[in-house]
This record gives sequence, structure tokens and C-alpha cells, in this order.
Amino acid sequence: MSDSSNSSAESAEYPPELARLPPGRHGLPREFVTRNQRERLIAGLAEAVAENGYAGTTIAHITRHAAVSRRTFYEHFASKDECFIAAYDLVMTELDRRVGEAFEQEDDWPQAIRAGIAAMLGYLAAEPHLARLSMVEALVAGPVVVKRYDAAIQNLVSYFEAGRKGRSAKVLAGLSPTTEEALVGGMVSLISRRIFADRTDELGSLLPDLVEFALTPYIGSAKAAKIARNG
Amino acid sequence: MRIINGLAREASEKGYRAVTVADIVRRAGIARNTFYENFSSKEQCFLAAQEYAMGSALEQVVERAGSIDDWPQRVQAGLAAFLAYVAAKPDLARTCMVEALAAGPASVRCYEESLQAFVSLFKIGRDVSPHGGELPETMEEALIGGVFWILYQRLLLEETDQIEELLPELVEFTLTPYLGVARARKVAAEGSAAAPRPQPRGRR
Repeated sequence: MSDSSNSSAESAEYPPELARLPPGRHGLPREFVTRNQRERLIAGLAEAVAENGYAGTTIAHITRHAAVSRRTFYEHFASKDECFIAAYDLVMTELDRRVGEAFEQEDDWPQAIRAGIAAMLGYLAAEPHLARLSMVEALVAGPVVVKRYDAAIQNLVSYFEAGRKGRSAKVLAGLSPTTEEALVGGMVSLISRRIFADRTDELGSLLPDLVEFALTPYIGSAKAAKIARNG
Repeated sequence: MRIINGLAREASEKGYRAVTVADIVRRAGIARNTFYENFSSKEQCFLAAQEYAMGSALEQVVERAGSIDDWPQRVQAGLAAFLAYVAAKPDLARTCMVEALAAGPASVRCYEESLQAFVSLFKIGRDVSPHGGELPETMEEALIGGVFWILYQRLLLEETDQIEELLPELVEFTLTPYLGVARARKVAAEGSAAAPRPQPRGRR
């Protein structure tokens, strides 16, 4: 516990969830302490990035928000980029889990799509810092993150491809090999631009538009509009 | 122009953030002084690149499509001009269509302006559509976002040569909400018959 000598008064500045562990011999298992530090660093990075943008964020910003020492930072991460990647992966895993669960809970495909979109909007709106980190800042965080960002978005394509199952030949003829990619890209573009404009709290109100946009190619605009508006 | 191309090439290789003025200067084959005679910073150079690219892309769209009265044909011609531009300038296009969202407020403003230009072109479709009044408010933004995303994916995979082949599916994708599948397909098919690029393409 190398940083236990830092002033403990410092911790009063931070909200309770970021409060330091008691210094010295607190009797907590080493593994617990380490994980707690790692999580705090990731939360600290998200706050620092929300404040300064990715490019403007320094390791000093991160450690200040996380209330840990610089040395602790380097025990967990080799660089700011590495810390960002960890944060990004955490957000995307959580987003993926929530969307997947919401989707699986509905038997009817159009309703499952609606539930998945609602889960995505709900999570991003509730976590504005993480929303910005994953949907906006990720784009300038270097090729490693950009690759993961693209993969995460392409991953959403499979939820839509499931909608082809059991459709008539006429409907299928109206879909091209890139329909799903274009739908996902269009939705992500709408979402990202709201987040960029600091209108993350309005994301929930996009639900009917996004649902109608996404379902129309499969079930036609009249049915899609009905599900979009009435759930 | 050499400087802007230098920035675009470097940015598409390693990402905008990692690019330094030294990289741009080396790639463009110019002196550092020359860079600073033209731009005060990398950010300013990026913005200039973006304004240049978006400006000339829209110019070509208007030139090719602006005088066509029939709206579906105008969309078809406009998309064809846009795809041709992206295929000719892949590095610039890639930098502008996605990274701009994270490259600072001025870049985002420029991105939004060019997106709105396309939104206005598509909004006309509401007057042509039998159910134009019922379409979701944000639909045009989503359609264009979808087109940009498809193009960006092709650029990332360095499938620049396949970009213009996407024309029929993108025409169909963007016209369908207004005209229904059957009419949208017809316009798309006629357009590609007029300018054939017959090459079967696999599913990526």
C-alpha cells in the first residue's frame, strides 16, 4: 500500500463511490484491493475523458479522479491507451449483455428488436460518461479501439439478420446484402450524434423512430409504426 | 492540397489522433515551415481537409443531380456522384466520415452541415411519397448515417474498388421508405442498367 501516506483528507473531495479504501492494514484481501483500484481507475478515466476529451486527458487527470497514486496506475496499466481499452471493453461487454438479455426475453422478433434498442438507449442515457467514451471518444482512441468499435457495431447486425427468418420471398427480395449494416450504421449515427451534442438524456425519445426505421424493411412501414408507437 | 492529402493518408493509416505535424510534413514532402505558413496546427489542417472534401463532394453531387426534376432520379444521380467521389478519394473520405465526430466542435459542425445537405435532398421525398406525412422525423438522418457507415466499412476493408458497385443497393435502401420496395427497386435497377458495372459480389 505504497500510497497510504497520502493525505487522507484528500478523499473527502470525492463522492462516496470513489472513496479510498482505509489506508494501512485494513485486512482486505490483496485481490479485492487490486480489483477495486482497477475499477476506480476505469471510472476515473471515464470522468476525465468526459471532462477533457480523450486527447486532452492525462494520467494525472485519471489518478486524481480515481484518487490513487501514479504508481498504482502503472501497476495496472502501461499507458493511458491501455486504460482506455480496458474501460471500452467493460462498457461494450455490459452493453452487449443488456441488449442480448432484452432481446432474448421476447419471442416475437419485432418485439425483441424493440426491447434490444430500448435496452441500448436506456443504458447509454443512464451512463452519459460511458456513452461518450464508447460512442464518440472511441473513434479517436487509436486503431486498436477503432477496430473493436467496428467489430462491436457489426456484431449488432446478427440481431437484424434474424429478422429474415420466415419472411416471404417478396420481402426477402427487397433486402440487399448490406441492409442490416446500413440499418445498424444509421441507428448508431443517430445515437452518437445526440451523445456528441450533449443530448444524451434525450436518447430515450429516439426509441419509436429507431424501431420504425429498423423494422420497416422486414414488416412494412404500417406494422413497424404500430410496434414503434405502442410497444 | 499536398498537405491535405498527406494528413488524410497518415490519418487513415494510424488514426487522426496519433498523427503529428512531422508525419504530415514527411508524407507531403514539404518543409515544416511550409506547413506552418498554411496552417497553425494539426487541428486546423484537419478542418481544412474536411471542409475541402465535404465541399467538393457536395459540389459534384449538385453538378450531377441538381438539375434533375424527377426526385428518385435525382437521388440516384446524387448518390452515384457521391460514391464516385469517395472511391476516388478514399483516405479523405474515411477521415471525414467517421473521425470528424471525435475531432472537436468545429469538425463536428462541418460534418453536421454536410449531413444536413443530404437530409434536405432526401426530405423532398416526403412530398413524393404517398405516406410522407407519417414518416419518422429522424428518418433522413438515419438513412444517411447508414449510407456513410456502409461506405466507411468498405474503406476500412480497403474495398475501394467495390464502392461504386454499391449504388443499386444504396439507392434501393434510401428510396424504399418513401416509395415502397417495388418502385425503389425499379429505379435502382434502371440506374444500374444505364451505367452497368456487372461484377458479382459476395457477401463481403
